[in-house]
Amino acid sequence: MTAPDYSIANRRRSIELGLVIAAGIITAGAYTLASLGKNSVIPPRILPFLGVLLAVLLFAHIAVRRLAHGADSTLLPIAVLLNGLGYVMIARLSERLAGLQTTWTFIAIATFVVVLLFVERVNDLARYQWHFFGAAAVLLLLPMVPGLGFSSGGARIWVNIGPINFQPGEFAKLALALFFAGYLSERGSLIARGTRQWGRFTIPEPRDLLPLVGAWAFSVVVMVGQRDLGSSLLFFTLFVVMVWVATERAGYLALGFALFAGACFAAYHLFDHVQTRVAIWLDPWSRYDGKGYQLAQAMFALGSGGTSGTGLGLGDPTRIPEAKNDFIFAAIGEELGLFGATAILLAFVVIIGAGLRTALRTQRPFEKLLATGLTTILGVQAFIIIGGVIRVVPLTGITLPFVSYGGSSLVANYAILALLIRTSDASARRLGEIPDRPTIRERWEARRARRHEQTPS
Amino acid sequence: MNQRIRRLAVALLALYAILFVQLNVIQVGRKSNLDADARNTRLTVRTFNDPRGEITTIDGKVIAESVRSEPASEHPWKRVYADGELYAHVTGYYTFAYGATQVERVANDVLAGRTAEQQVKGLASLFDGGDTTGTVVTTIDSKIQAAARRALGEREGSVVVVDVRTGAVKALWSFPSFDPNLLTTEDDDLAGSIIQYLNDVPGDPLLANSYQQRYMPGSTFKVITTAAALDAGTIGLGSVFAEESEFLPPQTTDPIANYKNKVCGGDLTEVFRRSCNTPFARTALELGPQKLTAAAQRFGIGESLPFDLPRSAASTFGTADYFEDNLPLLAIGGFGQGNTQMVPLHMALVAASVANGGAMMKPYVIDSTRDHDGRLLDRTRPSVWKQAMTPESSTILTQLMTEVVRNGTASCCFQLANGVQSAAKTGTAQLNGPGEPERSHAWIIGFAPVDTPRYAIAVMLKGTNAEISEGTGGRLAGPVAKAVMDVALTR
Repeated sequence: MTAPDYSIANRRRSIELGLVIAAGIITAGAYTLASLGKNSVIPPRILPFLGVLLAVLLFAHIAVRRLAHGADSTLLPIAVLLNGLGYVMIARLSERLAGLQTTWTFIAIATFVVVLLFVERVNDLARYQWHFFGAAAVLLLLPMVPGLGFSSGGARIWVNIGPINFQPGEFAKLALALFFAGYLSERGSLIARGTRQWGRFTIPEPRDLLPLVGAWAFSVVVMVGQRDLGSSLLFFTLFVVMVWVATERAGYLALGFALFAGACFAAYHLFDHVQTRVAIWLDPWSRYDGKGYQLAQAMFALGSGGTSGTGLGLGDPTRIPEAKNDFIFAAIGEELGLFGATAILLAFVVIIGAGLRTALRTQRPFEKLLATGLTTILGVQAFIIIGGVIRVVPLTGITLPFVSYGGSSLVANYAILALLIRTSDASARRLGEIPDRPTIRERWEARRARRHEQTPS
Repeated sequence: MNQRIRRLAVALLALYAILFVQLNVIQVGRKSNLDADARNTRLTVRTFNDPRGEITTIDGKVIAESVRSEPASEHPWKRVYADGELYAHVTGYYTFAYGATQVERVANDVLAGRTAEQQVKGLASLFDGGDTTGTVVTTIDSKIQAAARRALGEREGSVVVVDVRTGAVKALWSFPSFDPNLLTTEDDDLAGSIIQYLNDVPGDPLLANSYQQRYMPGSTFKVITTAAALDAGTIGLGSVFAEESEFLPPQTTDPIANYKNKVCGGDLTEVFRRSCNTPFARTALELGPQKLTAAAQRFGIGESLPFDLPRSAASTFGTADYFEDNLPLLAIGGFGQGNTQMVPLHMALVAASVANGGAMMKPYVIDSTRDHDGRLLDRTRPSVWKQAMTPESSTILTQLMTEVVRNGTASCCFQLANGVQSAAKTGTAQLNGPGEPERSHAWIIGFAPVDTPRYAIAVMLKGTNAEISEGTGGRLAGPVAKAVMDVALTR
């Protein structure tokens, strides 16, 4: 028997280290350029900035090296690059928000490490599927609670507890993905096989299907009630994709699209704000002085950026309402041009690739579904908001993962990233790319068990 | 599941491909449409936030420059106009919300560094922090301009000095003026109300009355009538005009009178020197509508002045057809009354053409443009606008106008320092009807030195209330012209 070869995993970590440092240098460079462009000064605290930045990035990298040595090498660098470019743009838009975003980045990276630390075996999470369902339900309902929830920008998706405001929906999507993965990995084949005949169609036992449809309907109804169309669309897509992948039956995809079309039709006729969204999507210009203003400004921003952009700090993205948030992609498109905007698109394509590769590599259905679901969340959420900003789809307010300003979004997305990395690491462990040593908790439990044996009863 | 996951990957990739295509459509395909949209202020803002070069006088005085704004300002640069009021009608203003005027407007590309030449040089110096902004050197001489303001004082009117050989404008002053520094405030609404106020107050300070307004020229127009008749050969130095106090033109029962009904006549030099009216009424009628209007056109009357500042006014005289039916108006037009209206700058050019052998130069105020390193980008080449009269006629007119200074209506007030001989014609354009209080524009046009002419001048005092006589124009406008010319001839 030859000695196990762990060089693949070691090489992944070296690549990750190099890419993370590159992302840090790009961020610091962009930060300097933005300051030069805006105020013609090199930022006075650029060296401490670079120092702290590299320290945080190395902290995240070392956490991965220690806790998930076999994981994919691109996920963390791409996420920190997106985070860094988003930060530069936010700092360029508002000094005050930059400070807050710094704090949230620290918290998000801490969350990332904590998730890696506590979730040692992803498969264990399947057990808690109903806890996640309950958590998702509570999180989704929280903004509706009088005294806790409040509206901002037309959507009642915010919760205020003490000094902290957050968007529970950002965490609900993670909980829902965990629930769907758990439920479908257990019952996916049952649902797929179908036991009852209904005309020409074989349909599964309602008993198997009901909780799932209930969960979906619940989340959609809550989101529509909260007027958060973007999240609603995201949950819907997540649900349809996960059922389709789990059951391998295209009928569900068709059913999903049919339901989706019906929901769109109903929403269009039921809600004024949906009609407005569609109208400004088709023609923002005739409503320039009203609801179309934001999209029109985004068009102007992207147009003025052109191929190579105005240069960081040299554009005028403050003219776009909510440039720091939903419209940060337009601000990037203005100052970094088609090249920079395409780089953001490619970054998400790389995340999707790495996430789905993780899903393909693992043998466990739960992990497969979870990785698929989490990747879908990141990929589709970015598509919905970028597509909304550049008028591929109607605009629905939602954050651009890792890039937009916002604590809840950043923390939730780093948690998603940690779970993807953990899943990726789990398959590396099973494929023998890294030693399959017991985890810290397992060692601790084993020791307790040994001690228990040794102790005479 | 793996196959589905692969298909999902393809589907997501397709979605991102759609985003990429749409991004190209917006950022490349529709870029020019978006940039050109009237509601898109981005280009304006970017241009406004760029550094901008200086405007200077010919003697190197900076009259417009960009300085760094205070740290909390909305725009990084602030335009500062040194002695803003004095040069307002030359520099104009450069504002965010209300656009730009004058040199700030016509030389915008040079100042902002956006001419092709500057862009190419800018590329070459991309890495050594090159500044592509350009400087505009105007033809204005700070000393002559200041003398014009000092001499006119707080009387409404205009003073224009031009170089007779080139058409370069050395002074372009009219009172009232305004301070463009008032309009560079960051408060767009405040700037708007100031512009509104300047538009509403009497005297039109925003308007460069020196070239954007026209006024009845009075007897200064006799230079044009005389040139026309000399060219046509209907009069000469030997012509003698009847001694009379009034003259009845055809088509009317209302006679044309000399000032105060004085008896006035004699040879051409005499009637020109004393500025009799009836001889020029007769001369105009003798030339007839066709020839006089054709001569007026040769002087550029009826065309907007080919000036390099925006929105020049056009002097007006009238059409031949109109005068055929209104011969009395042709007669009084011969001495600058009636419908005749002249732009002050144009009158300075009229005097300059006499001094320049009949060739009227194109007036210009931009001498040259230079890049940031002081290298010449472009220089205005003087060119002839009109051959207003024959060289022979200009020689005779020079004699006539010299006599005006020696013994005529300008003898009181246009004797230059150091015995420099000057030539001039005065004018008193009567504005009031019979029985109303007397009101007139007081004019003088002239040039000096007579033997080697350098500068021509036009001074116009608007709507003065002085008692009207043939000497009014010279008495009021003459000292202003003298003070300015004395300074000009030392330059």
